[in-house]
Amino acid sequence: MAEQHTKPDFSMVMASAVHDMKNSLSMLLHSLEMINEELPDAMKKSGKVATLQYEAERVNNDLIQLLGVYRLENDKLSIHVDEHYVLDFLEEQAVRYEGLLQSRSIKFNIVCEDDLVGYFDRDMIAGIINNTLTNAARYTKDTIILKAYQEDNHTVFEIADNGSGYPESMCNAPGKIFKGIDFETGSTSLGLYFAYQVAHMHKQGDNVGTITLENGGDLNGGIFRIRLP
Amino acid sequence: MSLAKLKAIAALPKAYSKLRFLIVDDFESFRMSVRQMIRAFGAEHIDVISNGKDAVQKCTYERYDIILCDFNMGSGQNGQQVLEELRFTKRLKHTSLFILITAETSKDIVVGAKEYQPDGYIAKPITKAVLQKRMDNLILQREALLPINKELDLENHPKAITLCTQEIQKGSRYQSWCYKTLAHLYYLTGDYSHSQKIYHDVLNKREIAWARLGLGKVQMGQQQFVEAIEQFKTVISDNPDYLEAYDYLASAYEKLGKRKYAQNTLQDAVAISPRAIPRQQQLGLLCHANQDIESEINAYRATVKHGNNSVHDSAENYLNLGRGLSDASEGDQSEKATDLANEAIDILEKATRKYDNKEVKANACLIEARVHIGQNNELASKAAFAKAESLIDASSINAKTGIELAKTLYRLGETERAEKVLHQLAQRFEGDPKTINRIEELLDEPVSLRQKFKARELNKKGITLFEEGQLEKAIETFKSALKETPKHPALNLNLVQVALKFMEKQGTAKVNRPFLESILDHVKHIPSQHRQYKRFVTLSKKVSLL
Repeated sequence: MAEQHTKPDFSMVMASAVHDMKNSLSMLLHSLEMINEELPDAMKKSGKVATLQYEAERVNNDLIQLLGVYRLENDKLSIHVDEHYVLDFLEEQAVRYEGLLQSRSIKFNIVCEDDLVGYFDRDMIAGIINNTLTNAARYTKDTIILKAYQEDNHTVFEIADNGSGYPESMCNAPGKIFKGIDFETGSTSLGLYFAYQVAHMHKQGDNVGTITLENGGDLNGGIFRIRLP
Repeated sequence: MSLAKLKAIAALPKAYSKLRFLIVDDFESFRMSVRQMIRAFGAEHIDVISNGKDAVQKCTYERYDIILCDFNMGSGQNGQQVLEELRFTKRLKHTSLFILITAETSKDIVVGAKEYQPDGYIAKPITKAVLQKRMDNLILQREALLPINKELDLENHPKAITLCTQEIQKGSRYQSWCYKTLAHLYYLTGDYSHSQKIYHDVLNKREIAWARLGLGKVQMGQQQFVEAIEQFKTVISDNPDYLEAYDYLASAYEKLGKRKYAQNTLQDAVAISPRAIPRQQQLGLLCHANQDIESEINAYRATVKHGNNSVHDSAENYLNLGRGLSDASEGDQSEKATDLANEAIDILEKATRKYDNKEVKANACLIEARVHIGQNNELASKAAFAKAESLIDASSINAKTGIELAKTLYRLGETERAEKVLHQLAQRFEGDPKTINRIEELLDEPVSLRQKFKARELNKKGITLFEEGQLEKAIETFKSALKETPKHPALNLNLVQVALKFMEKQGTAKVNRPFLESILDHVKHIPSQHRQYKRFVTLSKKVSLL
């Protein structure tokens, strides 16, 4: 057969690089867990291991988003909507941050009915929630609440904190436009852009998923909300 | 949280201790770390294994409740193939959980993995806390549904139906699973109306793919193929990656005789998930029936390419590819055709080496003989044929090899021997209508695919000419078509019909009854069940009245 001379598919190159890095992260995180168990209690409480874990999780989230946004731009991103037990799902995400939140004395709560069922792409929504949680952990004063409920046939996820809230400029049509990189804050708004796009890909009849940013609520801080039909 | 759930959670360490685990991963450090984690959760029976092949082997002798399997395991079987083999060979029970661990991000791999539905999958990176939460939840679900799954393993459907109904009445959090299982059970037991009702109820609340698919399957069961097609199309348009829907859509099209649509549907599916071998095999068959050789070859190429380490790997995949390549290259010496012929020889040789089996070797040699003669290489063809003959015992030959032998004999110009083989086969396989059918087909039209194509084109042209009233030209066209396929019933009858019309127009002087009778002679071998038989009788009567 004739040999094919084509350029490497960058999406594949990226996917395999991400794959490799995720394997590395797996080993890294596991080693951290082992080290943590061997550490004397005083050092366990210092939060240094937690910081390492936190940064590793951030790298993982960034990788997922990077690949996701690249695929989005090339129309290669598709979503797999399945039925999920929302509470199980949220617990599984939150557990990644338990150590970190404890070490920083951040109070954390999940508010969700035990038998709530939702329809969404597990990996994508997990990526968004994880990303928001890492941000909340950075900006909150001392409390984060992860909440999910049913409203007008929509599944709603809310991540609320008692920090100083989102800048007013971000609260208008968040994620709709990719605003570029703000070098002063280091914010790329990539996460919001990705969240907006992924929410938008969740459709049911005429309804599509949305995201909103708000300030206030019970904790009087920032609220990130994703609403999926 | 309910009291029942709190109790179940409290009982989790005990649950772990009773379960049998198998960890499959090619990295020792990973195997060990997962084992450590699970042991810390309370598990006592944990086996580890480093590759898929041994994992499948182990599952033959031992029963595992939970299998944690990595997707990417180097050059051996991957996690998807392990799952596929376990499901295919029914070594995985309903009560067992197969959990795929994956860091894969490439789309066709993830889709492929979903095609053989693991009970759950865990994304890397894995930490102890994450693994525990996920496992806890999966085990809680397993415990809750265990009584139902036990009945499913025993194929005790009525009992399973009762238990599902009870679980739903309890207001279980796993209601949705119960409805899905219940509807499927009704479908399996042939109770279509109950099945349909559940699917309708679910769909009234929300558009859900499994319910839409189920509804289509029920309609298929009730022979409502047109309606079923609409359901499958809806599923696909909402969920382009829902591959099962493509399979059902294709089979619905086939039921309606729309084989071309069926082929297109499966082609869409393999474009999304190229690794599913049974689908590629089905596609190959369809393309063959549609005489689309190029697509046929592509499908069989895929069966060979993705067959390594798969439970669906078989010599027949290689032989079918060889057959397709032989058909495509026959009687053509262009560079492209030579490449195809070489590919055929290469594949057939690989098959003989890989499958040390007399039957396979004989078939491969027979196909090889056809490939060589198709390239005018008489010497090589004879050598391959001689080798085939040495492997075949004519008196005990099986139907498939016998037909392969006859096909090759025809192509080598040994018509008499070919017919003798077929007649002997027909006697031995009298009670096997499928084989008899194939024998009759071959006796009717023992010509190459290329000749069939040519005849078909000419036939089409003849019909057009006839419709335009150019009767003389139509007659000439049908005559040249018959040079390719002299015994083709429809073609002969077309010629008779046009000639009759022509003679009618020209007046009695032009009637040439002997000519018409000689053409009808070519068709008289068809049995009364043949599609063209009625037409044959009508036209014969007309001719006899001339």
